[in-house]
Amino acid sequence: MLRNYLLTAYKVFMRRKLFTAINLACIVLTLVVLMVITALLETTFWPTGVEGRSNRFLQIYTIRSVSADRSTSSSGPLGYKTIDKYLKPMPGVERVSAFTTPDTVSIYQGDRVSELQMRRVDADYWKILDFKVLAGRLPSEDDETAGRLVAVVNATTARKLFGGAPAAAIGQAVSAGGQLFHVIGVVEDVIHINAFADMWAPLSTFPSSDYQNQLRGSFAAMLLAKSPADLPRIQQEVARIAKTFVAEDPKIYATTTFWADSKLDLVARNLLGGEINGDAGLDSGARRLLTMIGGGMLMFMLLPALNLVNLNMGRILERSAEIGVRKAFGATSMHLAAQLVIENILLCLAGGLLGLAATQGVLWWLEQSQLIPYLKVGVNLPVFGYGMVFAFVFGLLSGLIPAWKMSRLDPVHALKGAA
Amino acid sequence: MIKLHKVSKTYRTDKVETLALKDIDLHVREGEFVAMMGPSGCGKSTLLNIIGLLDRPGQGSIEIGGASMKGYGDRQLAALRNRTFGFIFQSFHLIPDLRVIDNVELPLLYRSGSGAERRRLAREALEKVGLGARMDHYPNQLSGGQQQRVAIARAIVGQPKILLADEPTGNLDSKMGEEVMDILLKLNAEGATVVMVTHDEQEARRTNRIVRVFDGQLVTPEHLHAA
Repeated sequence: MLRNYLLTAYKVFMRRKLFTAINLACIVLTLVVLMVITALLETTFWPTGVEGRSNRFLQIYTIRSVSADRSTSSSGPLGYKTIDKYLKPMPGVERVSAFTTPDTVSIYQGDRVSELQMRRVDADYWKILDFKVLAGRLPSEDDETAGRLVAVVNATTARKLFGGAPAAAIGQAVSAGGQLFHVIGVVEDVIHINAFADMWAPLSTFPSSDYQNQLRGSFAAMLLAKSPADLPRIQQEVARIAKTFVAEDPKIYATTTFWADSKLDLVARNLLGGEINGDAGLDSGARRLLTMIGGGMLMFMLLPALNLVNLNMGRILERSAEIGVRKAFGATSMHLAAQLVIENILLCLAGGLLGLAATQGVLWWLEQSQLIPYLKVGVNLPVFGYGMVFAFVFGLLSGLIPAWKMSRLDPVHALKGAA
Repeated sequence: MIKLHKVSKTYRTDKVETLALKDIDLHVREGEFVAMMGPSGCGKSTLLNIIGLLDRPGQGSIEIGGASMKGYGDRQLAALRNRTFGFIFQSFHLIPDLRVIDNVELPLLYRSGSGAERRRLAREALEKVGLGARMDHYPNQLSGGQQQRVAIARAIVGQPKILLADEPTGNLDSKMGEEVMDILLKLNAEGATVVMVTHDEQEARRTNRIVRVFDGQLVTPEHLHAA
């Protein structure tokens, strides 16, 4: 039976080439958009590459203080002192890293000035993140303690500043913000939330030690747990610690909060604001964000699916005589609905395969264009799986209604070609 | 084999109500070849469709093989159409996208059985109507007469007890029409009950009985040959 269905489906598609092409184009376009978004979301949130341990660490980016009457509030990055005093002593945490958010620095090379994104990081930073070293080495605790003016640059920066292979950058001097750094390592380009930068230097290279006394500043923290199961406990613990935080000006700010977030929580909190009044703001709004993304994707699929329903209705109407014949010879409404849905799913799966190829092309273009700096993304197996699931759901959505409607046709009217 | 009791059918649109059949009582015995005649629009095809369970009567009852069709749902009707009836249409109604052999296999798709078995039965049916050599052709590669023979092969492939033919020779020239008529008579001689709608008096006279329909009602039946 399936062979007969497949054969009929193939012939029908080939008979109406333009219709098939429009149908496929519609499916391919929808799938490409959905799959590119999925691939980008996966790169952002999934524990991969340099942030392969992100299922085991949390990050704290923001500290927020509010006055007693809630009329005044202040929010921004952490200061080093907050991390050192409140987070580093936390029990049950494997590592706590303090690092700055990327800062734009000017690099002078003769007449040439380049602008780079620079982070200053502690030694634990390199142990939590998995940078791929292309040449040289990463800073050690010795470098940190001794306050050596050493730097790590990424491959693009190494190429841009020194040309040639990554090894050519090792030992070269870089003047940034009035300080002369020596490049000791070159790492692969990365885009991830905590890793993204062009250049990294030890914390101890700060020109002044003032940062050590600041509760607010330009820092973020990563907390590496021993296992993913420890994360909720650590989140609770951070929330508890935040309640003990004493602000520099406690008369103005009565309450201060900060949250240990997963990457998804972090993005959700930034986009949606999170819950700040509840139990120490533990709800980041991630669930809402996921619902919005899921809903948006469903809507994005639903609109072309409705369009396809219309197109399919026309295609199936033309085949009402065939439906009549099949009914006359014993097909039930269920048989016919299944046949028409299978045909549609086949078309959508074919669109899915084309969509995958097109997605690969779009992702390649995104990487090459550097529209998103250092983006490295590809159609991997999970994305392929999502693509096929999308195609299947799409086929089901757009085929079910017309198939069911047409399968209910009275055989006599169907034979007469009326629907 | 087929019993219709007080069968009526009315077609309704928003404005018009058309009485297609009125109080039809008809009994077709097993092995009989019945021709239904009457002017265009008199209700012959409607009657044939109701007999073949392609349409439901407004009133009255139908019995097929002694079983009442009252309360039969989509699945039961489909199963009965599949096992008991073979349909032959004036315009053949072959599926143009499928080869001849795939068209003939169609009724067997809705029963259990292997693909090889389906193929064997379809081949036998095509050989029976003299088209064994055309199995891999597409319908549009055949003449009208050949297409109707394919349609007959499709109707008999499942070995139904009843063949319902709606003007099977209506679209054919007289020679081809005669060939088709010969096949139907042969199938009837082998035991199939045949009910055929026709406009051709000569063809009708070759059957066992002529049933005349006029304005949706049966007029006195005319017995020609013993079944």
